[in-house]
Formats: sequence, C-alpha cells, structure tokens
Amino acid sequence: MDKQIMIAIGREFGSGGHEIAERIAKSMGIALFDKNLLEIVAEKNNLDLKEVEKFDEKSRNLFLSRKVNGFSNAIEDTIALMQFDHLKECAQKGESFVVVGRCGDEVLKEYDHMLSIFILGDKEDKIARVMNKYQLSREEAIEKMVRHDRKRRVYHDSLAKGDWGDAHAYDMCINSSRFGVEKTAEILVDFIKASL
Amino acid sequence: MVLARVLAVAIFVVMFVLVVLDKIEKHYVTLTCGALTLLLVFGVAMRDMNAVIETLNLSSLIQPGFWIGEAPESAGIDWATIIFLAGMMIMVEGMALAGFFRWLCMKLAKLVNYQTIPLFITFMIMSAILAMFIDSITVILFLAAVTVELAKLLKFNPVPMILSEIFCANLGGSATMCGDPPNIIIGSKLHYAFVDFLTNTGLIAGISLIIIVVYFYLVFRKELVSEAVIDVSTMPDPKEAITSKTGFIGSTIIFGIAVVMLITHANTHLSVAFIGAVVAVITMIFNHKHLKEIMSKVDYKILLFFMGLFIVVGGLEQTGILEEIANFIKNVSGGNVKVMVAIIIWVSATASAFVDNIPFAATMVPIIQGLSAGNPALQATLAWTLSMGTDIGGAATPIGASANVVGTSVAAKNGHFIGWGKYCKSAAPATVIVILVSMLIIFVRYC
Repeated sequence: MDKQIMIAIGREFGSGGHEIAERIAKSMGIALFDKNLLEIVAEKNNLDLKEVEKFDEKSRNLFLSRKVNGFSNAIEDTIALMQFDHLKECAQKGESFVVVGRCGDEVLKEYDHMLSIFILGDKEDKIARVMNKYQLSREEAIEKMVRHDRKRRVYHDSLAKGDWGDAHAYDMCINSSRFGVEKTAEILVDFIKASL
Repeated sequence: MVLARVLAVAIFVVMFVLVVLDKIEKHYVTLTCGALTLLLVFGVAMRDMNAVIETLNLSSLIQPGFWIGEAPESAGIDWATIIFLAGMMIMVEGMALAGFFRWLCMKLAKLVNYQTIPLFITFMIMSAILAMFIDSITVILFLAAVTVELAKLLKFNPVPMILSEIFCANLGGSATMCGDPPNIIIGSKLHYAFVDFLTNTGLIAGISLIIIVVYFYLVFRKELVSEAVIDVSTMPDPKEAITSKTGFIGSTIIFGIAVVMLITHANTHLSVAFIGAVVAVITMIFNHKHLKEIMSKVDYKILLFFMGLFIVVGGLEQTGILEEIANFIKNVSGGNVKVMVAIIIWVSATASAFVDNIPFAATMVPIIQGLSAGNPALQATLAWTLSMGTDIGGAATPIGASANVVGTSVAAKNGHFIGWGKYCKSAAPATVIVILVSMLIIFVRYC
C-alpha cells in the first residue's frame, strides 16, 4: 500500500466482525491486529503471555484499583495502554493496518488516514452464528453474546470518550445481516478505497 | 435542623462513594457536593446565611494572622492549606524541571557504588526524607522511575525496592506538617507548627523507619541479589540529569528557603499560607521563562477537590453531626484516653487503607476538637494519633494512598505488575507494625 490507512473495527459479538476484519486486511494486503496485539506487547515488554491474557480487553475493578494524575494501578489499564502505545507507534511509523476492538477508534482518532467502523448484526443471525461456531444451545449462545457485548462496552467506554456502538463515534456503522460477511467485507473495502 | 442533618450526611455519603468509585473526576464530585451543601443544607434547610459565609471563610484571607502572627479561628474552607499546597506544587515543579530529583537519585546510587543492598537502604531513607517536605507522588514518581532504570542496568528485580520506597514515602510524610495532606489539614485547623509535628509524629516516624528498614531488609534480602558485574564507568552520570545549571542551583536554594521557613515558622510566626505564597512567587520569578510549562503541570484539580471537600465537611460541622460522633466516641471509650487513641488510630488506619484519607482526616479534625473539649494536651495526643493512623494506614494496600498508585503504575508500565497479593504481602504487616509502634509510643509518652 502506497498510502497509509488505519482501520479500527468495533463489533458486536456474533456479527462476524472479526471475519470481516480479516477479509479487509487480506484484501488490502495490510496487517491485522487482534489478539496478536497482546502477544506483540507481551514479547516487547518481557511479559508472561499466559499471565496477562486474563487482563486483555477488560475494564478495571473500580473498588480494587485507583487512578491518580493519569496513573492507574489496574493491570487491565496497563495492558490496554501498552497495546495503545504499540498502535500509536505503528501509526507514527506510517504503517497500514486493521485493528479489531482495543478502543482503536479512540486511540487512533488523532491521526489522519484513519477510518472507524462498527459492525452490528440482527439478533437472530448473531445467535445462529454463535450457536454454530461454538456448538452451543440457543440459551447458551444468547448468554455468551450478552456477556461479551457487556464486557466490550464497559472496556471501551471506560477508556474512550465516545460510546461503544454509538453511530456518532464511528465513520461507518454497518449491519452484517443485510449482505452477509463476504459482501459486507467487499462493501467496506470499496468504502476504504474511496477514502484513500 | 433534622432535615439539614439528613441532607448534610446524605451529601457527604454520596461524595464519599463517588470519590471512592473514581468514575467522575474527584474535584467535580466535591465541588458539586459543596455547592449542594451551600444550597440545600445552609440555604433550604437551615436558611442561615452566616453558615454560608463561615464555611466559605473568605474573610480569613484578609485577617493579618492568616499570613503573619496568630492564626485566626476558622471553619469551612481552609484557605491556608490550599495556598500552601499550591505554593509547594509550584516549587516542586520548578525543581523537577531543573532535573533535581533525578540528579539526587543518580548521585546517591553512585555514592553507594551501585551496590544493590546499600542502594535499597539508601533509597528507602531518601524516600522518607524527601516525603517529609515534598508530596509523595513526586517523590515516588522519580524514585520508582530511577529504580526501574537502575534495575535494568544492574539486573535486579525492582519490585521489592519500589514497594519499600512507597512505604517509606508514606512513613516520611507522617513526620511533618507538610508531608501528607491529612497533616496539613490537622496542623492548619488545629494550629500546630512544623516543629510540633517533627517532635511528635516525626519522632514516631523516625523510630518506625529504623524498624521498617530492618523489616524490609529481612523480607526482601534474598530477592535483591544482582546478577550483574558492575562497571561503574558505564553508569549514567548524575550531572546528565540536570537540564539547567542555573535552574538547578536556583530551585535548590528555593527548596532550602522553604525548609528553613517551615522549620522556624513557630518562632517567626509566618503562616503556612505565607510560606506557600512566598515559595510560589520566588519560583515563578526565577522560572519566568518556563512559567507556562510549570503552571500547566500544577495539579489544580486537587486544590479544587480540597475546596469542595471543606464545604461538605463544613456542612457536617455546622449541623452538629461531627459533635455527635465525638460524643459517641467519648461514650464508647468512657472518657479513657487510651481507648480513644486505640479507636482513632485503628479506625483511621483501616479506613485509610481502602478509602481516600483526605476526606477522612478533614472529617475527623472537628471530631477531635469535640473530643478534647478545650483540653490542649488531649487535643494534641489525638491529633498525632489521627495523623499516624491516616498517613500510615494508607500504605497497607495498593489503593490506600496516591504514592502507592503511582509507584505500582510506574512498575507496571515497565513490565513489573504488582497485584494486591504481592503488594499486601509485605506492606500490610509493615503497616500493622508501624501502627502498633505508634500506638505504644503514644500510650507511653502522652497517656
């Protein structure tokens, strides 16, 4: 890619957002940051990946941690900040990438060449996808969806100014149920290319 | 009056919960709650304009004793505390800008030849001494950062050293009137001088420091083994830390002036507000080229936090709630001073381990006044008790004091996570030891 482009993707659990992000990254020939971002920062900071995995994309416990003058002693916040620093470093180096979650919309909003996208889906489609992917019953799938979406919302909103999933905080919001994962990815690639 | 009391308590509880939850910035919480106190408690329920005027306490600023001479009696917003804090913050920013703190850390490391155990002991003592005069956040910010840097060069685990430094910063803060915000509130409201603290809580802190250095040495000695063969010539030169020689000399002199004025203020009758104002003005004149940079770093939010807090506590004071709590403690203790001391020190320490000790101390000061009922010796005993309880209690957990948060955060940013278990394993027993020692010294010396 000649021109730098950074795409921050937020997604509802079960919407196929991660798969769409993978397709976009592959189609554009750029890097994808998802869970691997934690592996990168763990290696960079000599951290035990297994030890820090449980703090990834989680919000801090308000009763067991405190913030003072921008310093937080919550491990969740430190892990998030390390990932944010890495994203900013890549952005400053002029690298192009897709980042899934991790408050990418907030962290990268000060940079040019950044697009933020939120992918949602119809409830029934999301339930069907989660049931199929994780081999769960309908009730279990709903419970898993609710739990993950709550976790993502709390994590995002504790670290970002905009609200998770609020259309005002993103350049584009798209319902993957309208066109399916493949077509949605294609539409988004066209949208991204048009913005270059 | 019942409505006023209910409202005052409700506003105080809401403020306390919101401060602990830390969801909304603390100064917004206390200022809003302060405004509600003025409006609902004094305005709607009490219809008492005098209570509003007394709590805002603006008239104290124009009284001669506020700056020089006998300090006037006052309730509500403690402007002396706020002006003093602002002045010290400006002075500390001037010192940081010149590279004073980093230079001091590096110089001491060089003096002990970068040997881990002497470094460990020196940094603990330095942490305590610096925290006597400078806010513990600044002390730990620089000390922890240098500790991490030296740990990388000398290949040792920085966590034990950071944990010990945090504890000693809290301990050092208890030794003087300006060491920790609760002490500034206690000293300013009850009219104690710097020397009063130094000869009372300072003595307790000094004895405790000796015990604590030995304690941390015994706890961490096995973890402080350095794997590195030290080549002193490869270590950073302390002089490199100094960003401006003139700024460095100037800020060191200003710091010296502040220390001398604080130590002698009982004799010179210069108030802490005067001292704060003088060091602020000198620092601003001396650093006029960097004035914008220095002023932008001053934590004005904590000053606003204090203003709101004093108003809310003023609400409890004016409605007689704190007097009732004092009477309750008096009844429970049966007037026995030792029981009062034990209650105050352990309750303060336990509360401060989990919640902000500043609102706690601000609330307890009028209670102490009520308990002592005009007996100056009893008031002093209870003041030193409250000071040790609130200052040291905060050291027990990672959230108890600001220095703990900053120290553990600096460690985490460098890949050394300190969870509750790791923190409390060494700090909680140390806290219990110091509280016990403090209680025993207070029993022997004052009761």
